[in-house]
Amino acid sequence: MTDQIREQMSALIDGELPRDEVGLLVRRMARDAELKRAFGNYVLAGESLRAPGSVLASPGFAARVSAAIGEGDVNEIAAPPAPARAPIGWRRPLAATAVAASAALAAVLLVRPDGGEPQQFAARSGAPETLPVVSLPVGGSSPTPGENQRLAGYMVVHGQYATPIGRRTVWTNALATDPGITRVSPESAEAP
Amino acid sequence: MRNGLAAAAFCVVALAAPQAHAGAQNATEWLERMTDALATLNYDGLFTHTAGQQSETMRIVHRVEDGRSMERLVSLDGSGREIVRTAQEVHFYMPDRRVVLVEQRSDEGSLLRGLPAPDPKLDELYTLDVRKGSKLLGRDVRVLDIQPRDVYRYGYRLWLDEETAMPLRSEIVNGEGKAVEAMHFTRLEVRDRIAARELEPAVDATGFQWVRASKRADPQVAGIGWRPRKVPPGFRLVATRVQIVPGVPMPVQHLIFSDGFASVSVFIEPGPAKGPSPPESTTVGSANAFSTQIRGHVVTAIGEVPAATVRDLAMSVAPVEEQAAPAKSAPERPDR
Repeated sequence: MTDQIREQMSALIDGELPRDEVGLLVRRMARDAELKRAFGNYVLAGESLRAPGSVLASPGFAARVSAAIGEGDVNEIAAPPAPARAPIGWRRPLAATAVAASAALAAVLLVRPDGGEPQQFAARSGAPETLPVVSLPVGGSSPTPGENQRLAGYMVVHGQYATPIGRRTVWTNALATDPGITRVSPESAEAP
Repeated sequence: MRNGLAAAAFCVVALAAPQAHAGAQNATEWLERMTDALATLNYDGLFTHTAGQQSETMRIVHRVEDGRSMERLVSLDGSGREIVRTAQEVHFYMPDRRVVLVEQRSDEGSLLRGLPAPDPKLDELYTLDVRKGSKLLGRDVRVLDIQPRDVYRYGYRLWLDEETAMPLRSEIVNGEGKAVEAMHFTRLEVRDRIAARELEPAVDATGFQWVRASKRADPQVAGIGWRPRKVPPGFRLVATRVQIVPGVPMPVQHLIFSDGFASVSVFIEPGPAKGPSPPESTTVGSANAFSTQIRGHVVTAIGEVPAATVRDLAMSVAPVEEQAAPAKSAPERPDR
């Protein structure tokens, strides 16, 4: 991989790659699996440096880039707005701007190091069915204060990322009561 | 007399023009309008929340200032807990434990807020229908039915005020058509303005332990690059971050999945030194959580989805390098 390619990938992650170059790079990644995987790794590296609270790309940007890579059509791609200032550069910290983080997420979604989207579980369609067996409870218990606090923290955080109706659902339940915790037998918790 | 009581129970003081129109025709438009109303209107209401055998009265105050949404949700019975979302932080007051959890506010939720409307796949995952309903609180309503096409998500039945699109009543329904949770407003005021002081907590938190998630997360500690190997149909990874969660001692990696309407968070934290513990499942109303240990990390999934969905997502995540490694070929069988 040449330095020029690296710089182009960096600029794409930063949302600063000119539109015409975006097209070239995306076409190249669509043809070159190794390049695609390397790009995914760069994005993950950048993501790991990202400060908490970074803002992510618009879902539209992710979808446009993803669709373009899948179809080889780069005309639909529009990079997110670039920051006002800006030396481009691979050596620039990837966590520098929210826009960089935005592009990084988009790239994570479109280029996975394993080369594709995660598989989906088999769809169960038609009329509502009985839920699949989830667990074999081996005993209920009252959670410790520490367990309750951990779960409450997770519910508060999750609520921030839900839709307004979802947030109200999760937060209302966090207020309502302390949950009981059901221990699950290990054999029922095998990976799907 | 009855009409007078109803008018007192629901009050629209003054609405901005964009929210006041009632031009929605189909179910998707009503869903968009409701999502927009919940996030952009100023309102103050009392509602009954019922899950299982438990029922509580709660108050919600929602205020918008300079385009930013702030709210206060408080349990008026029982625990007296409150959640206050300010412009900068989310505070969870737990007077029963004398603890306040403090989480930095994230605006990423506002991105997800817009997902149901433009996502063309929503029709593939849910059937949406809207019909005229009987009056609630003296108001004309539309009943919006959102039924899942499979077992990986819940259904919703929403009674929306025709003028504002605010949900006056809601039920969350499981795969067997049974309501697992319901909310019913007994009073709702949609106002032109809500004073800032109405978001102040009633709880006196003097002497409480304040647990803040303010430290910068160290991704090396949290473990980077976990991803799902499989996801339930229609769900996709929409965001990922490393962060400190209040009440959790170590930085965690946070993966957020959405089907355009329901969402699931998966938290991955380094495991406790004391060794593995058995998997756990938790149900709180319509919210489910599942926790287990994978590769020395505690993985917890939580979301407003059935237990199967959080369990499947929790069990599906793995370190990226593990997924990227080439499959090992079977060892050669020695010649005999």
